[in-house]
Amino acid sequence: MTVTQISQRKKYLAQDNVYLPHIVVVEKIIEETPSVRTLHFHFKDDTLNREFTFDPGQFAELSVFGVGEATFCISNSPTRQGHLECGINRVGLVTNALHRLGTGAEIGFRGPYGNSFPLDDMRGKDLVFVGGGIGLAPLRSLIWNVIDNRDKYGAIAIIYGARSAADLCFKYDLDSWKNDKTVNTAVTIDRNESGWQGKVGFVPAVLGEMAPSARNAMAVVCGPPVMIRNTFPVLEKLGFAPEQIVTTLEKKMKCGIGKCGRCNIGNLYVCRDGPVFTYAQIKNFISDEY
Amino acid sequence: MNSKKINKKDLKKLLDTWRRDFNLIVPVLENEVITMDVWDGKDTAFIDWYRNTVVPPKANFLPPGEKMISFEKKKDGIVLEIPRNGQRQIIFGVRPCDARSIAIIDDVFTETYEDTYYLSRRNNTIVIGLSCNSPYDSCFCTSLNINPVESAHVDLLFTDIGDDLLIEEITERGKGLLNMPDTIKKATKADTEKGQALKDSLAAKVTKQVNVKDMEHRLQACFNDREFWEKAAAKCIGCGICTFLCPTCFCFDINDEMLKKQGARYRSWDSCSFKAYTRMPMENPREERWRRVRQKVCHKYQFLPANLGVTACTGCGRCIRLCPVNWDITQVLAGVPQKEAARSAK
Repeated sequence: MTVTQISQRKKYLAQDNVYLPHIVVVEKIIEETPSVRTLHFHFKDDTLNREFTFDPGQFAELSVFGVGEATFCISNSPTRQGHLECGINRVGLVTNALHRLGTGAEIGFRGPYGNSFPLDDMRGKDLVFVGGGIGLAPLRSLIWNVIDNRDKYGAIAIIYGARSAADLCFKYDLDSWKNDKTVNTAVTIDRNESGWQGKVGFVPAVLGEMAPSARNAMAVVCGPPVMIRNTFPVLEKLGFAPEQIVTTLEKKMKCGIGKCGRCNIGNLYVCRDGPVFTYAQIKNFISDEY
Repeated sequence: MNSKKINKKDLKKLLDTWRRDFNLIVPVLENEVITMDVWDGKDTAFIDWYRNTVVPPKANFLPPGEKMISFEKKKDGIVLEIPRNGQRQIIFGVRPCDARSIAIIDDVFTETYEDTYYLSRRNNTIVIGLSCNSPYDSCFCTSLNINPVESAHVDLLFTDIGDDLLIEEITERGKGLLNMPDTIKKATKADTEKGQALKDSLAAKVTKQVNVKDMEHRLQACFNDREFWEKAAAKCIGCGICTFLCPTCFCFDINDEMLKKQGARYRSWDSCSFKAYTRMPMENPREERWRRVRQKVCHKYQFLPANLGVTACTGCGRCIRLCPVNWDITQVLAGVPQKEAARSAK
């Protein structure tokens, strides 16, 4: 996303103050796994409910007032708006607080921030989505976007995995994609369990087995860092050039707008210059600190 | 350039006038620490004892801690309120190195998204420079192309030329402050010549030098030389004082507090010297100290130059003279190989 496009986003600033959150109201909570829940929420200010838009891959700062702010990607698709969704993995102070909330709770929302998945580059191509754990959250925003414009894209393959069946997020999405004949979906867990009907093994290995063609294709990868790092070589082996591989990175953030300093990799800020990067860009990162 | 002058004895009169319309900030010695703080109106003795502040002027725009938002849980929901800043102020006595630092931070807080809190203070502030008559041993401003008598980034520049202070009018805003014909006189040719001569003689007093030519690319070439960075970080104790007191360090943290139904969101200075700065629940990209020292040096001399075209260092020397273990950034910089000699990346 260019700076011009960013300035268009400024119309969503509260009182022209980039740090002032909008109040959003939690309308629905889906417990995805024992440690992940999805919050559905809408703006208290109805004008924003009508006007607010974002692109898949963008993120927001959610705040529990009195506890703090944390960064989450917006996980629903702009093609299915009406409300916003964020998947919350319970790991720290703010995420624990978000896990204690009930419907009707008021929280803070700033965004959308960051760049987005390169939908224009993906048009007309075969798409391979590779996700692990909570990493499906940003991917599902993109996947639904693509499915809702199905004729603009080629074949779609989705490879998703989690540690165990209980750790699979967005099972309702996985079910819809499995039932969608235009989408090839494979779901895997690390170790076999009784009653499990899907694949067994780590995501990169299953990707290697499925061996999607790299011809006129793009791969989008999102998951824990170890999965991302191990998926790149598999894709390269399948013939994907670094420019054909896209991922989204996660760093500790506070401001979300490239000022507070901490999320940089070399001179790039994940919040302002990312979070979406191609593997070609990552290969050129000066630092291995991603 | 138009130059004026004021007798040192009359400085109090001038400051008294300014104080009527502005919050007047001057060098203040409190608990053995020199900061820029509100003038008590007593005297202007600081003009003789003051060399430079310990706490840089960034603190006047980006305070060590500030309230960003107050919130209150009411019956019909959460109510947010923003504190009002932006009292009109004059900062008097900013050294040329620190004047440059303000310009650097201005860029950071205006690019892409404007930082309301910083700018509400900055836009209401008149910066009055004071040439640097007695640089410290740890100063190396001239290596960064800053002269101790430098009029860049200030509204007026005062220079101590003996009994008088020479005043250079830089901006219209600054000029408007000098409407006191009984105390402010036109400078004579001899006065301006004295000022000119100081440019050379004071620059010669800055003896510490470091060659920063092509530093952005030199650092880029040795970025992955772990051995180099481990050596550079060897004696650092990670206390963060060099970053807190650096005039160009701007990194901050945001935290909330809540007491029953009322609370606030605060911003406070943070530092890349600390592990917690980048620590995430599952991992930390800068767990080792050498990575954090590398971040500090490269942010100043490589990343900010790449992003905004400016080096985020003014050679003010605070990180050297205030370091508890005598870590010296100029020694690290001097050790960065010339590009062609850079050791191969690991």
